[in-house]
Amino acid sequence: MGKLCPLPIIDIALAVKDALPGTLFHLESDDPATWADLQAWGRMTGHHVRMIESTTFEIIAQ
Amino acid sequence: MGSVTGLFTSETRLHPAAREILLDAIDKGWANPAKLHRPSRELANLLSESKAIFGRVLGLKEETISFVGEPTLAFYLGIEGLLQPMGDGRLIYPATSRQEIIAVAQSAPSSLSLDVDLDGCWDIPPALPGDLLVWPSSNGETGAQSLSPENFGGPIFVDATTDPIFSLPGRWSTALFDSRSWSGPAGLGIFAVNVQASWRNPMPHLDHRVVPGGFNPALAIASAVALEADCLDRRNSLTKTVELNTMIRNFLQSEMSDIDIASPLGALPHLLSFSFLYIDAEQLVDRMERRGFSIDSGSACISANLEASHVLAAMGRLTHGNVRIHLYPEHSQSDITSLLQALKEEVTLLRGNA
Repeated sequence: MGKLCPLPIIDIALAVKDALPGTLFHLESDDPATWADLQAWGRMTGHHVRMIESTTFEIIAQ
Repeated sequence: MGSVTGLFTSETRLHPAAREILLDAIDKGWANPAKLHRPSRELANLLSESKAIFGRVLGLKEETISFVGEPTLAFYLGIEGLLQPMGDGRLIYPATSRQEIIAVAQSAPSSLSLDVDLDGCWDIPPALPGDLLVWPSSNGETGAQSLSPENFGGPIFVDATTDPIFSLPGRWSTALFDSRSWSGPAGLGIFAVNVQASWRNPMPHLDHRVVPGGFNPALAIASAVALEADCLDRRNSLTKTVELNTMIRNFLQSEMSDIDIASPLGALPHLLSFSFLYIDAEQLVDRMERRGFSIDSGSACISANLEASHVLAAMGRLTHGNVRIHLYPEHSQSDITSLLQALKEEVTLLRGNA
């Protein structure tokens, strides 16, 4: 929380980097650009993303 | 147009042909063109010639043209004037429309924002009674061009503020052009009301003038000169611009990784928008500026209100690390090679530091 773009996406990318497919991650971010960028990141990298609440997101490594 | 080697921003210098004539036009443009004195008649003639140029190049009948000193005001004039008073029609617009249009839509009694796909394409819904369509001819960030609105059954406001070179749809009601889009002086819009349109002036008014308030006649005269000259420049350099656009796309796809190109194939060739994953656009723009390359960005950290580009977000494109490139007729292959090499080096450095 409190981090602006692109830091939330960099954080999740580093976390997911060596994860096994199916590993579940949670991201909390109050940057208004995070959801749009997380969806774009998921499209570009193949990871599954989902919004839980406005500042809470779920990522499943692929 | 002088050296623009490192200039890739959407704002550009006044076209030299217009700059030359602007001072002369200021000298002659002080009179009231509606009066009968000699200086007034001379100015009226100059304005009439300018209107003829706008009509010919933009595809408008001269009698439909009004000059507007504040183009932003004309978004309201053009859209609100077509909405039926007390009617229940919707103001329909693509989600990638300009902020000025979204602002008018938010104050309308009923509006419908249309979703766009990854290429910025949008479907035109069937018109219900009273509906009004806002049709941007192209998008100012990505260059994505809109499909023809011919099948829409209601009135159409044409937003042509991004690019003057396009064919007006067969059916249109009001249209707005911005002098800045052809390297003309800022502070002048060309607003047109089709003679067949059911348009009413939404502003308080006492006479039949379409646009309240004045405009600077010197800007209109200089802008007409700029329009002719800029269109000629662009036509002459179109093949080269398409080649440079292709060169940039090929480089980005073959030499760089984790990149999202927002401008679809078939977009206006002089505009390119793309985003680098994991890059802070503010740092990238700053580093490129220090190397002599001025570029734009739609990322939140660059914008005045710290909000990411609503265009990129609506398209589902990456909003951070965004770069916008505007190609001018003066740009050469060597300019682009230098730009791309610098971009590659700076992105690599920034990613290494992340």
